[in-house]
Amino acid sequence: MTYEAQFYPGATSVAENRRKHMSGKVEKLREISDDDLTIILGHRVPGTDYPSTHPPLAEMGEPECSIREMVEPTDGAKAGDRIRYVQFVDSMYNAPSTPYFRSYNTAINFRGVDPGTLSGRQVVEARERDMEELAKFQLETEMTCPALACLRGASVHGHSLRLQEDGVMFDMLERVRLENGTIIVQKDQVGRPIDKKVDLGKPMSDEEAAKRTTIYRVDNVPYREDKEVLEWVHRVFEQRTMYGYKPAVQE
Amino acid sequence: MADDRKRMFQKDLEVKFTKEHGTNKMEGGDITDMRIPYYRLGVDQNPRKLEMKKVGKDIAEKRGLAGYNPMMHCGGIPLGQRALTPSFISGNDDMMVENDDLHYVNNAAMQQMWDDIRRTCIVGMDMAHETLEKRLSIEVTPETINHYLEVLNHALPGGAVVQEHMVESHPALVDDCYVKIFTGDDELADEIDDQFLIDIDKQFPAEQAEQLKASIGNTTWQAAHIPTIVSRTTDGGQTTRWTAMQIGMSYIAAYGMCAGEAAVADLSYAAKHAGVVNMGDMLPARRARAPNEPGGVTFGNLSDIVQTSRVNPDDPANVTLEVVGAGCMLYDQIWLGSYMSGGVGFTQYSTAAYTNNILDDNLYYDVEYINDKYDGAAEKGIDNKVAPSMDVIKDIATESTLYGLENYEKYPVALEDHFGGSQRATVLSAAAGSAGSLATGNANAGLSAWYLCMYLHKEGHGRLGFFGFDLQDQCGATNTFSYQSDEGLPHELRGPNYPNYAMNVGHQGGYAAIAAGAHAGRGDAYALNPLIKVCFADEMLPFDFSQPRKEFGRGALREFEPAGERSLIIPAK
Repeated sequence: MTYEAQFYPGATSVAENRRKHMSGKVEKLREISDDDLTIILGHRVPGTDYPSTHPPLAEMGEPECSIREMVEPTDGAKAGDRIRYVQFVDSMYNAPSTPYFRSYNTAINFRGVDPGTLSGRQVVEARERDMEELAKFQLETEMTCPALACLRGASVHGHSLRLQEDGVMFDMLERVRLENGTIIVQKDQVGRPIDKKVDLGKPMSDEEAAKRTTIYRVDNVPYREDKEVLEWVHRVFEQRTMYGYKPAVQE
Repeated sequence: MADDRKRMFQKDLEVKFTKEHGTNKMEGGDITDMRIPYYRLGVDQNPRKLEMKKVGKDIAEKRGLAGYNPMMHCGGIPLGQRALTPSFISGNDDMMVENDDLHYVNNAAMQQMWDDIRRTCIVGMDMAHETLEKRLSIEVTPETINHYLEVLNHALPGGAVVQEHMVESHPALVDDCYVKIFTGDDELADEIDDQFLIDIDKQFPAEQAEQLKASIGNTTWQAAHIPTIVSRTTDGGQTTRWTAMQIGMSYIAAYGMCAGEAAVADLSYAAKHAGVVNMGDMLPARRARAPNEPGGVTFGNLSDIVQTSRVNPDDPANVTLEVVGAGCMLYDQIWLGSYMSGGVGFTQYSTAAYTNNILDDNLYYDVEYINDKYDGAAEKGIDNKVAPSMDVIKDIATESTLYGLENYEKYPVALEDHFGGSQRATVLSAAAGSAGSLATGNANAGLSAWYLCMYLHKEGHGRLGFFGFDLQDQCGATNTFSYQSDEGLPHELRGPNYPNYAMNVGHQGGYAAIAAGAHAGRGDAYALNPLIKVCFADEMLPFDFSQPRKEFGRGALREFEPAGERSLIIPAK
């Protein structure tokens, strides 16, 4: 019998979406070209080579090491790419993903990544081409709604603010805007204006966002109604508490 | 139950988020609206920012060197693009203040609160009296003690005794400096001149006075407060140094001792080391802080410094919330925000816990829930407490957290007000932790509720706070009841320097409240140290420790009169 990871408890749509994000088996909703991705990330000029911090591993003459032999380097590591980042901000108003579920998706499904999780943003550092692979994956799939999620390298404020009148998550730098029903990127993730406008496609409707979100909300899928999830949180809490208490040792 | 309740924050948020303030443009709307127009007015919508902008410009012109300029961000895009709104001070609905004025640099009351703690030490008199009586056969009587206290109230602010031709401090610069005494010995207390006595019977409800006097017994203690200006210029360690020097001189003068005799050394030692209680313990060398610096003030000590429990003992939730305010300001804004990080942002994290009645609403909801379900367990008392089992902690923390999370979901302005996870994590956990304490009378049970709240919060919203404290919040349950010596401290003895708390921004006020809540819930006269509780039961202190949040509001409104001002010795303008 082949083991299949279950990833997450719960019977609600939110729990189901969480399972999907962790498993990486998510629906692709849009196409982002490599050049467009490069432009909005803002790390290098589209079409240029990846800057490197060391020669390709094959030319390095590395010492013998059983671990090195066991672990296949990522493409970015093989080539000696520099470390770069991608940082997402996801609205609290039914954005499809959240910082922790972006991190889980990254850590479970990609290698050579260093995800960092905060309340308002989620940053992943990795070799540049490896980072681009996961950034493209998350941008193109149901993990992202272009109106309710945004690449923000700096000035990340906005995830918990009320939405703008047009349903776009507030951004003090207005990196994206709604234009003729689609989301147009006009600044890279740090906030520098870009020469070419990048079209990220249509925002999710309110109904679609509510269906695809991984956030429990009282006006959609209330947290308190997902009994199994609460039960598992309690279980984790209880076991960690008892591990520190070690009553058996005291007896 | 949750849906029938009048939210305490509703009125505050309606004023804050649906009305215009100064040049602030706010749509009417409703506090449940999920969308609003953003005018992107930047700093020009806020009167305090405008004042600061003008002053910054004037300073730059005057000195010919660039200074404060709020248009510096991103080449001219002002910070404050969303609505910059003032805040109400929780528990004081008429106090609406600018958020900038809750930074301790802009708030004289906040500075004074910390000054009043740092410049205080408690010095025992019994060892000194034994030295006088047994070694020198000098008779100590209430009369001699009164005389000594008169001498010391001259010497402690910097007046010379014994020495001739000494320079002295100007009394008008140090008029906040004084010493009083207290004792559990009723007979002695009766003989002490009223001006010198902190009268426990007068300051505390009878039940609390009995507890305190029983704890203190027939011992006698000096509550010494050195000048604010001295403390500010030096450090917390100066409090005992300064006090010991003046106490030594005053003993010599009052009891006619020989300034060179060996007993003087014993008196000095007792005044500086042996019989001294600092407000904050010394930190490990790597943090390089003296005693009486905020990192060493345990949560139990801060709970005792705050005096709400003696003036409002029948509302233990209120006691707890006042400690939240004091703790957020001292530990988060001053200690973590400045001593530990050197930053500015920590104030913003912390004020969430004592503004706009959001935390207050959550905790009072919890009190109702506990009283309904556990037969009045959140009311003041000992016999009404519920045993702190895992099931009880799970129940109370879960209900408290779900209620708080639902408020953020139902009221988008509450979420916008607490726009960072650090703020939400603090507020939700402070409510859950304090509720656990109030219900059980056990601070470690409250702490356990705090950590469950963190887990529930993270899981519900898929996010929590920031790198710096998410780790500690997720491993904290493991050390709540640990017996490992450095991990399993009773909560009252933990403090901001406890290993897992050393960088938990925004959390420390909540931690302190958990300690306060357990004892306020039981109706105890003190949480950890009866001496500290009595020492701060003194209306002569410039800062009113019975209502710290109101004092912060007065500071923000520029109504607070601090000590240690230097107008006397600087050119008049």
